Amino acid sequence: MIRRLLHPWLTVRAQIALGAVFVAAALPKLIDPPGFAEAIWNYQLAPAWLIHPAALTLPWLELLCGAALCLGAWTRAAAAWIAALLLVFMTALSINLARNHPVDCGCFGAATGARSAVERVADMRWALLRDLGLLVLAAQVLAAASAKRRD
Amino acid sequence: MPKSASDLLKALALLAVALVCAGLANRWAGPGRKLEWTGWAPQPVRPQPAAPAPPQPPAPAPAIQAAAKPASLGKVAHPKKPDSPFAPSPQEVIREISSAAAWEAYQLKFPFLDARRSSEFEAGHVAGAWSVPIWETLAAARITEFEARANPDPQAPIIVYCSGGDCADSRLLAKKLVELGYRDLLIYRDGFPDWVRLGRPQASGARP
Repeated sequence: MIRRLLHPWLTVRAQIALGAVFVAAALPKLIDPPGFAEAIWNYQLAPAWLIHPAALTLPWLELLCGAALCLGAWTRAAAAWIAALLLVFMTALSINLARNHPVDCGCFGAATGARSAVERVADMRWALLRDLGLLVLAAQVLAAASAKRRD
Repeated sequence: MPKSASDLLKALALLAVALVCAGLANRWAGPGRKLEWTGWAPQPVRPQPAAPAPPQPPAPAPAIQAAAKPASLGKVAHPKKPDSPFAPSPQEVIREISSAAAWEAYQLKFPFLDARRSSEFEAGHVAGAWSVPIWETLAAARITEFEARANPDPQAPIIVYCSGGDCADSRLLAKKLVELGYRDLLIYRDGFPDWVRLGRPQASGARP
């Protein structure tokens, strides 16, 4: 069963899917760093000194890791970064859901148009579920890379 | 070299490349897309507003570093009626005002500052408003321009707005103006969507 889950056929597709999602998520944030900074600030979790550096650097990290996965280069390092980023995003979403503080996810750039608190909470739950799915993909890529190294 | 150490080096290399790319991209970015790396400010000590605001972390202020305005820099004092919503209150330098009060302020020709992004301002804004996009590095220059051209009285009301609802940009801008010496900031609670809904005077494009 595990051998099937770590089959190269599946791993290549997981890598490309994960990489493509992160490249797509990075592009709108690269185009509009102030909008992403505002999105990070809205979570009310990051210290003020970290917001601008994070808004400038994270999209590039997402782009580089996504591109590395798509190209099959530095797979373990890129997948590890992506898994770490997903854990951070999921923690931030969970904390704000737990304290009933609806925020725009900001996952694919700044939100357009005003949305109600109920819509935001629904989107946050959906984003959490999506991040969980992506984390499973990242875990598969990491496990497959480790197994390949052992062989 | 052990494989795990090699992976760690690769992960650090990815971070280093991301930092370099971010630095170069930010250097070459246009004014509406630029961010100051260290554009943050400690939480200012300020008088408490009347309504208790939800706790917020210190706002990263994008490079507004104009010198504090002395209180004596008053130019043309605007009319203030004691029973109007514009009567100054030393205890509440930042207050929220209703849609009707915002309209009254507009008719009294108090200055309106738009805290939204410059692209939103260009798409539509309160006619005669000044754009001070609080999340853009342009904000500092825009405040300087506002002071130079509008000659605002630091003691007179200034109306600040953004997109209404839970938009916090107008409050961030109001806090920044308090730091710069202004003492009567009125936040138009319902913001520009309300202005549009009520068919009040609007304009579009950048301010001439």
